[in-house]
Amino acid sequence: MITLTIDNKTVQVPEGSTILDAANKLGIEIPSMCFLKDFAPSTSCMVCVVKVNDSDTLIPSCATLAAESMKVQSDIPHVIKARKTAIELLLSDHVGDCLGPCHVTCPAKMNIPLMIRQIAEGKFTDAIKTVKKDIPLPAVLGRICPAPCEKACRRSKADGPVSICLLKRFVADIDIESPESYLPEIAPSSGKHIAIIGAGPAGLSTAYYLAQKGHKCTVFDDHDKAGGMLRYGVDRQKLPHKVLDAEIALTMNSNIIFKNNTRIGSDISIEEVKKDFDAIFIATGTLDQEQAELLGLKLSSKGTVEINSETYQTENPKIFAGGNAISKTRLAVRSVAHGKEAANSIDLFLLNKLEPGAVVSEFNHRMKRLLEGEIETFMASADKTQRIEPSQVEVGFNSSEAKSDSHRCLHCDCRKVDSCKLKNAAQQFQAKSNQFDAPRKHFIQYYSHPDIIYEPGKCIDCGLCIQTAQKQKEGLGLTFIGRGFDVKVSVPFDKSIEQALKTAALSCAANCPTGALAPKHNDN
Amino acid sequence: MCDIDLTFVDNCIDRIGKTPDKVLPILQAVQQNYGYLPQEALEKVCDITEITPASITGISTFYDQFRHQPAGKHIIKVCVGTACHVKGANLIYEAFRRYLGIADDKDTDPQKMFTVEKVACLGCCMLAPAVQIDDIIFGHLSNEHIPIVVKDFLEQETARQQKASTQDYADGKYFGEIRICLDSSCVASGSGKVYEALKTAVEQLGINVVVKSVGCPGMSFLAPIVEVVSANGTSFRYARIRPENAREIVLRHFKPRQIGRKIKNTASFMLDKILADRVGKPVTRYSIDVRDRPVTLFLEKQKHIATEHCGNINPIDLDEYLNNDGFKALEKCVKGMSSDDIISQIKLSGLRGRGGAGFQTSLKWTDVANNNAVKKYIVCNGDEGDPGAFMDRMLMESYPYRIIEGFTIAAYAIGAEEGHLYIRAEYPLAVKRITEAINKCRDKGFLGKNILGSDFCLDIKIVAGAGAFVCGEETALLASIEGKRGIPRLRPPYPSESGLWGKPTLINNVETYSLVPWIIRNGGKSFSALGSANSKGTKVFALAGKVSRGGLIEVPMGITIRQIVEEIGGGIGGDLAFKAVQIGGPSGGCVPASLSDTPVDYESLTAVGAIIGSGGLVVLDESDCMVDIARYFLEFTQYQSCGRCTFCRIGTRRMLDILERLCQGQGKPDDIDKLEELAIMIKQTSLCGLGKTAPNPVLSTIEYFRDEYLAHIEKKCPAGKCTALITYSVTDDCIGCTLCAQHCPVDAIPINPYSKHEIDTEKCIRCDTCRKICPENAIKVE
Repeated sequence: MITLTIDNKTVQVPEGSTILDAANKLGIEIPSMCFLKDFAPSTSCMVCVVKVNDSDTLIPSCATLAAESMKVQSDIPHVIKARKTAIELLLSDHVGDCLGPCHVTCPAKMNIPLMIRQIAEGKFTDAIKTVKKDIPLPAVLGRICPAPCEKACRRSKADGPVSICLLKRFVADIDIESPESYLPEIAPSSGKHIAIIGAGPAGLSTAYYLAQKGHKCTVFDDHDKAGGMLRYGVDRQKLPHKVLDAEIALTMNSNIIFKNNTRIGSDISIEEVKKDFDAIFIATGTLDQEQAELLGLKLSSKGTVEINSETYQTENPKIFAGGNAISKTRLAVRSVAHGKEAANSIDLFLLNKLEPGAVVSEFNHRMKRLLEGEIETFMASADKTQRIEPSQVEVGFNSSEAKSDSHRCLHCDCRKVDSCKLKNAAQQFQAKSNQFDAPRKHFIQYYSHPDIIYEPGKCIDCGLCIQTAQKQKEGLGLTFIGRGFDVKVSVPFDKSIEQALKTAALSCAANCPTGALAPKHNDN
Repeated sequence: MCDIDLTFVDNCIDRIGKTPDKVLPILQAVQQNYGYLPQEALEKVCDITEITPASITGISTFYDQFRHQPAGKHIIKVCVGTACHVKGANLIYEAFRRYLGIADDKDTDPQKMFTVEKVACLGCCMLAPAVQIDDIIFGHLSNEHIPIVVKDFLEQETARQQKASTQDYADGKYFGEIRICLDSSCVASGSGKVYEALKTAVEQLGINVVVKSVGCPGMSFLAPIVEVVSANGTSFRYARIRPENAREIVLRHFKPRQIGRKIKNTASFMLDKILADRVGKPVTRYSIDVRDRPVTLFLEKQKHIATEHCGNINPIDLDEYLNNDGFKALEKCVKGMSSDDIISQIKLSGLRGRGGAGFQTSLKWTDVANNNAVKKYIVCNGDEGDPGAFMDRMLMESYPYRIIEGFTIAAYAIGAEEGHLYIRAEYPLAVKRITEAINKCRDKGFLGKNILGSDFCLDIKIVAGAGAFVCGEETALLASIEGKRGIPRLRPPYPSESGLWGKPTLINNVETYSLVPWIIRNGGKSFSALGSANSKGTKVFALAGKVSRGGLIEVPMGITIRQIVEEIGGGIGGDLAFKAVQIGGPSGGCVPASLSDTPVDYESLTAVGAIIGSGGLVVLDESDCMVDIARYFLEFTQYQSCGRCTFCRIGTRRMLDILERLCQGQGKPDDIDKLEELAIMIKQTSLCGLGKTAPNPVLSTIEYFRDEYLAHIEKKCPAGKCTALITYSVTDDCIGCTLCAQHCPVDAIPINPYSKHEIDTEKCIRCDTCRKICPENAIKVE
């Protein structure tokens, strides 16, 4: 047995163990991308570097054997900085988007490409789950949203965007009419109670997500019915109250109490609310100076409630605000987004975890503007049909129209968005995609293989796929081509990826640390 | 593509073998035969051998030697080594392409006669800028020579087909001899033709004198050098001799049987004329006497151990080597010294590895010697790849027996019976000479079974590298011998524990081995008496760049940079000031003139941000831009990186991005900080020596020449080198001779006889032709 210390913690490991093994035993997490158990270490990504025995150099823990009395440091700033730089260097040579441009542009950050794939495969129940993860009122928004997502849709560069908004409405309408409408799971009660002032899109959204986390919510509104501006400020023709009522009903559950005709500040004093509730969310809509004062709030020079833009927290740590109370541009989808994000902050606050930096946005590497010829690459895997208009405008898409339009999606997002080790590490180390401004390589996609998609621009040259193909005795397999910065993984003799990977394709995709090799069909 | 005759593949596999480690020699044979690697041939190789498609593709694309597309009939390799770079190699490259009419996206002319490519270093730095066409080297080029060079090459090509060269020695009484070096760089200066001319002259005049080829005397700046030793032993040297001078030289020193005094006088007169003949041909020639002061100085400060008997012995004449103490050291070892005895002498000598890192040689030897494994290997690293270094090439070409002897002694000391000599692909003559020398040693019992009657056996195999700088790194070199991509691996384990095929392996550099026989003969103490405190003995350097006298020098460690540049190199020459010395190539740094009293040894050079490295020493003057030098080296390393570690693969590229934008005048204020930050990170985190040292040229130039970096951010190049930042114009000194207009390759100067000319800056490609051709110095660069 060998005894060594990692971050001042002593551990014993059998001879032949690596530093990484020893760290695992201690429960110290060392990130790694190119290392996979039972494979020869590539020592390529250098994200797993550690400092050993106070040496100036940093060495990869995945391949360095633990030695007696070794002193390993894995959590010092020097090591963290090196890991972050390695990730940023890899990102500087990474071609592709983690999240689709539509997804990023959607104020509620809804995973649109995933929803579209689910619709394309006829998995409408999965699709509504995807939608409701970020948007509690999709049937409503499907009728009134100006759809900024569609303006960002890459397909608009070719022949018009995918009808994202109508697709969302399509799955939401099916869900409403279904005898088994989707209802989210509710976590066990936390014992906390939150006051939500205003039952418009922001307030309803906050209640919906807080309730799911096991918190009790009381929603106060000075109107008779819930809906706020959706009910009282939108043309009924566009948004029939039948739809609004049905969808609001689906957001309600046992954790939510709706107190109508109750005005905070006059019917109940804000001081009383503060006393009785663990947190307060202000979703009143636009406030004037007088109304604000009644709620104990101050307005900024712009006439909105002042908040911390990351946490939605006001000057009073217990009080949060969102929707039109904090924003001048009236956009229902944005209010819904505020509600969702504020719910997250309030939840952290109630758990005493709302520290600076606790609220992080999802890491996203972006390809930015397309280069010449790239739209054609994206188009190659999509249906060539023109944008579809519903045959009955007032009804929206029927099932076949929805499926057809969903096949027009270019799937700009990464198929391995959840499992990509580069994205996860970038998230963990708060890496910057553009730390090194470098000219971008062309986006290339090989779509011909029946099981996998190959996007060489996302390859980090670790060679795990080469080893996998070799282990599975592929005749042709994969190989490194070239050397230096231009080295790439490719198929020998310029043959196709189908010829290269006959049996090992899915294992290669599973072992690939990034989205370079990804399964064509999966739940993402 | 379908009409390729593949019978060669069958034959070559029968000859070379079918195991995976044979992939490099097979690829080399296939390329030799077809001129490139046809895919059909590679697929056939995979069909009939154990080599897989993945392996053959990976390997054939890793090494620079291999082409996957047919090339022109002849290949022009433009050397872009450091010395050539600072003398305008890129302009030469562009000029060849223009002259041959090669399209932007191609490397071959439309007639498929010539393919033009860049090569990391031809190892002929003193001939800079140099190109190699097939196997002929042309040196001291400038743009206007290109038509002459191409014509000359085609003529030589015809002549060579007609006549094969032979080599013979005259018998009988010693009447003196005529010596000439036939190393590739001297041949490039025309020594081959001179050799032929001398032999013809001797034959025609009926003089009984030997014309023989000798190891390089090192004064390559004067090549081709002819040394005449008369019957009484007096020696005369002539430099930069042309074939037409051969007859005169012979007549000056030797009395022909029937020709009278009158002719001899005429000959003397003609030679004097040659002295003043300095017309601007590709190679200027004049005669010099060895006793002239500069040349004496050139030799005086030197101490020849690795290069012992330089210029006096025929490289492949085994008898001559034996007559000059050759194999005495080996004999001493196998007949009376134990492994410990030998290693203790090496330890006493203080010898440190000459390949770059400077590790104690005796420690390496001890580690392998003490390993009880039955099978051990010994390897010689002859993969010299630094642009700006040619020591190992000269040693291999000129002293093959010394390397073999040192190598054999090491094998005996560590107990290895199988050795591999890995020689760089770009050095065909070295491969040829070493092969020939090994065969002769085997015949005479210095190699093979029971060497010199002892129990000791050693067989040496030659492995020709295929053009990958990173293979100079020991673990990459071993991978390459095993028939893999030359990817370095994490150490430990070190090769002394687990090396070739996983067995304990001793790996040393060419120069290290070549010092061993002298140490054994003279004792470790004599060696350690030379040099400085921690760096003992001598070091061979390739002195090149902006120096009056370049060439191979061997000096005691601890000599100062100033002594090398001023006393041995004869200073910068010309009007420009000495600016810096680049030492250690892409792993080294630039030492500024202000630090030229720095002693040349391992520790002192490291302290000033350079390294001894393998021994390339390129002198720079005021006209060299230090940002451009840094950019040049990073361009080299990012291309030569094996591509494995993130920091080296992408990090060096990102450094290059910054340097490129600085040279383009698009620098940003924080670029210097960014460079430094990345440089330090790459040094600390790379796996092998290439990455760990790659940022050195940048760090040292930032340290000593920060003002030049700042100037580039301000879009100025103080040295006037970065083409995006300079403009050419004509001054009032113009006499309207039209020469510039006639030579401008892009018609940027309208012909305007007897009037001041104008340069159209829009059209101008900054090729510098006009400035060089102008007889009045009327071209201004700013």
